[in-house]
Amino acid sequence: MAGRSTSRTTLTVGGAPPTERHPFADGALPPNAHVRGLYVHVPFCFHKCHYCDFYSLVDRESRQPAYVARLAREIAASAFALERPIETVFIGGGTPTFLEPTLLREALGAIRAGVTLAEGYEWTVEANPETVTPEVAAILVASGVNRVSLGAQSFDERALKTLERWHDPANVRRAVETLRAAGIRRINLDLIFGVPGTSLAGWEHDLDRALALEPDHLSCYGLTYEPNTAMTKRLDLGEFEPCDEDLEADMYERTIDRLAACGFEQYEISNWAKPGERCRHNMLYWTNADWWALGPSASGHIAGTRFKLVPRISEWLGADALAPVVDLERPDLERAKAETLLVGLRLLDGLPRATVDACLGVSGQEALARHLAQGTLEIADDRVRLTRRGLLVADGVLAEM
Amino acid sequence: MPIRNFSIIAHIDHGKSTLADRLLQATKAVSDREAKAQLLDSMDLERERGITIKASAVTVYHTHKGENYQLNFIDTPGHVDFAYEVSRALTACEGAVLVVDSTQGVQAQTVANAYLAVANGLELIPVINKIDLPAADPDKVAMEIEQVFGFRAEDCILVSAKTGRGIPELLDAICDRLPAPRAAETSKLRALIFDSHYDDYKGVVVYFRVFDGKIKMGDKIRMMGTGRTFFVTELGRYTPFIKKVDSLDTAEVGYMCGAIKSLGDVRVGDTITLEYEPADAALPGYKEPKQMVFCDFYPASAGADGSSGKKGDFEALREAIEKLHLNDASFTFEVEHSEALGFGFRCGFLGLLHMDIIQERLEREGGVEIVQTAPTVSYLVDMNDGSTIEIHNPADLPDLSKVKSIREPIVKLEIICPQDCIGDLMKLCETRRGTFKAQKFLSDDRQILDYELPLAEIIYDFYDKLKSITRGYGTMDYEILDYREENLVKVVILVNGETVEALSLICHRSNAEYRSRCILQKLKKQIDRHQFEIPLQAAIGGKVIARESISALRKNVTAKCYGGDISRKRKLLEKQKEGKKRMKTIGVVSIPQEAFMAVLDQGD
Repeated sequence: MAGRSTSRTTLTVGGAPPTERHPFADGALPPNAHVRGLYVHVPFCFHKCHYCDFYSLVDRESRQPAYVARLAREIAASAFALERPIETVFIGGGTPTFLEPTLLREALGAIRAGVTLAEGYEWTVEANPETVTPEVAAILVASGVNRVSLGAQSFDERALKTLERWHDPANVRRAVETLRAAGIRRINLDLIFGVPGTSLAGWEHDLDRALALEPDHLSCYGLTYEPNTAMTKRLDLGEFEPCDEDLEADMYERTIDRLAACGFEQYEISNWAKPGERCRHNMLYWTNADWWALGPSASGHIAGTRFKLVPRISEWLGADALAPVVDLERPDLERAKAETLLVGLRLLDGLPRATVDACLGVSGQEALARHLAQGTLEIADDRVRLTRRGLLVADGVLAEM
Repeated sequence: MPIRNFSIIAHIDHGKSTLADRLLQATKAVSDREAKAQLLDSMDLERERGITIKASAVTVYHTHKGENYQLNFIDTPGHVDFAYEVSRALTACEGAVLVVDSTQGVQAQTVANAYLAVANGLELIPVINKIDLPAADPDKVAMEIEQVFGFRAEDCILVSAKTGRGIPELLDAICDRLPAPRAAETSKLRALIFDSHYDDYKGVVVYFRVFDGKIKMGDKIRMMGTGRTFFVTELGRYTPFIKKVDSLDTAEVGYMCGAIKSLGDVRVGDTITLEYEPADAALPGYKEPKQMVFCDFYPASAGADGSSGKKGDFEALREAIEKLHLNDASFTFEVEHSEALGFGFRCGFLGLLHMDIIQERLEREGGVEIVQTAPTVSYLVDMNDGSTIEIHNPADLPDLSKVKSIREPIVKLEIICPQDCIGDLMKLCETRRGTFKAQKFLSDDRQILDYELPLAEIIYDFYDKLKSITRGYGTMDYEILDYREENLVKVVILVNGETVEALSLICHRSNAEYRSRCILQKLKKQIDRHQFEIPLQAAIGGKVIARESISALRKNVTAKCYGGDISRKRKLLEKQKEGKKRMKTIGVVSIPQEAFMAVLDQGD
């Protein structure tokens, strides 16, 4: 897969989940829907990295043409949802730029044709450094793409090897230069810290290398051991020692300080941007806005309904019109409250106090009081937000709320 | 017909059961075809562990010098915890066959039981068994027997219960050397109960030896100790097959049934007499069974929130315990509620092995899975107002300002071990607050070590340590001497400043710190880091004697949280919260059930 700031979904644990009819198969959206974004999932990858739990496949059957043809049909079937101007498009994977250049051009063209882009839109495509050629960069720009998220992950060859990332660290600079030359101004770099065997000094070196490329956006993630990934299995088998919790915390804190000193604003637990360069697409997710989804395993959210398109390519290819979905969740007030807190408090701006109060039950209020007392949450400008200490332990805070 | 009542005294695995079977075979009580190994041990468990848990009595007939003898063989329990039952069984006899394995030599229990027999005035016939084995060293063992018991080496009968060698000589010796039973002292019935067991169809089966008078079918009998009365509905003897009789006379041994529903109505050591023609006094030596070791049993699946655990699991455990209690009235049980482990039972046992056996039988016969807490002993607490209470749970200890002193049970411990282990064993006993009493020479390379030490110090892992120090050759036996005042303290464990009553313990002041530190370290490993630092403390009367701390969680945040992840992310957090629910919350700290188990579990 390419960079990771996307709305990709995970392989569901425990066998194939049953599918249901697409919640909007009837071709109508609820009146309170306001589709502002579009997520498109491209599942193909050169290699399945063992820490990755997004839906991706190493295709040996050349299903890329079929994928692009089916995508075009799905776009056509989605016309009713994409009538209004779309503010953000995000193409994630997998590795979208792993598509054959002609197919990439065809896919992007179909999206462009099927969507009315709003004034000042943001269109991001994820890319792996080694896939960014002048040809690919030119196709992106010609199709209207104006932002690229690069899966750099690390500049340390050993760390990359641990992650099973096979690109040459030097390729990251080459990719950035190629994109800039083609006219892509907005570039995000994904970086991963807490990789087994790495040190604080090594991580600082990674940050330096990334900053030297002058990106306008950085996503820095602590390595997460997702269930059902090869890496987690190896961890469970004791094949390696995970990064020490204190070291990982040090790395995270160093990231916060270092990036702040370089003029980046931290606006979410793992995301930093130069002023005005926040990823608007991700902001849709974190503010519970509506976005449409296309492609196998892509997740969408429309007016409280959450759905994930079938995460199996053969079934997705075989569907006509809108593909069936899994993990369908209908609007539910309590769930919506929980989600508002869950995503909203991950943002550094936090949530208005009134919103938080409206979402919390009695035990939640107790938890709020406790965390305010513990100094993991604070109230400022009438907003509830995580403190610096709270950032590090956000999962516990959110779980208790 | 002349009668000989005898039992066999032997260490576990020294061949008592095989020898008994061989005697039955030799007297034609059992045909060769029927002679399946170890006829007398009826339970699987007994066979597996090679020990006899419940005694029974078998009557056989043997012709010696032209006369037909009735031989009543009374089987005795083979373990330390059943010392009282053993003593009652021995009281029912005039003699005993002392069996020593020719490859192993004299063991601690053999000594203890042989002394018990001598104290009861029994005549002993020393037998050296397993002489067919290549490793047999009968001369050396004979020397040991002479050394310890004072028998002349040539008086020992060499036997191989396996091949049958020496068995006729043994039968002759039983008839010749053992005394005849004493004559009746009164015409009124007095029969000593030395064992009982529960039969699903007949109710309680009572084994007894008639000392005076006669017992008949249809008699209305009275248990002189408990005062319960019953009608004799069945009377008989085992040969070893049941043979019903109409009456049993003075000096005879047999069993009776009387629609007795509970083993609690029948006490070993009690005297049976007739309701309408009662004896003036009971036979001497009756004692109530005394539970010395206590622990909790909880259903393994119980929840930690103090209330749950499937109700069915608790009920299944109750059923299993009640059923087992029908078969063994010598353990006690009462419902216990632990804030950490939910509902279970506080059980009392005669000793450690007794506890193990009960646990195993509950799991095996009752089909329930059990969580067992670390055993404690019973303590006597002398209050300032002069009263004394007995407690067997640290949580029950009254306010210490009202307590004058605490007494704990002290045992007399006898260890037989190889010479070269003496130093290490003495060190072990010293660390367990032992008081050295005597060191006796047994043979060239084996010694007897006598110590007095608190029962509380041997119920943890003492026996395991003894076995490992002696490479398996050491044996031990203990008996309760008395309760003694010791410098005992109650240690409470505080998590984040809050007392966790389920973890408190009573121990000697001198090792309170060490024990506390072990517990705190275990807790530290089991409790997850929280968002704040958690102090763990052990305190005696408000004074902290040990502390640890769990440093604050520094990082617990999932980096990724994106559109499609939201449903899943929410579920993950919910799961995290669910997990917390299953934990016991002390103040603001969540303690997993495993933490309680790690601390309460047996061993250090």
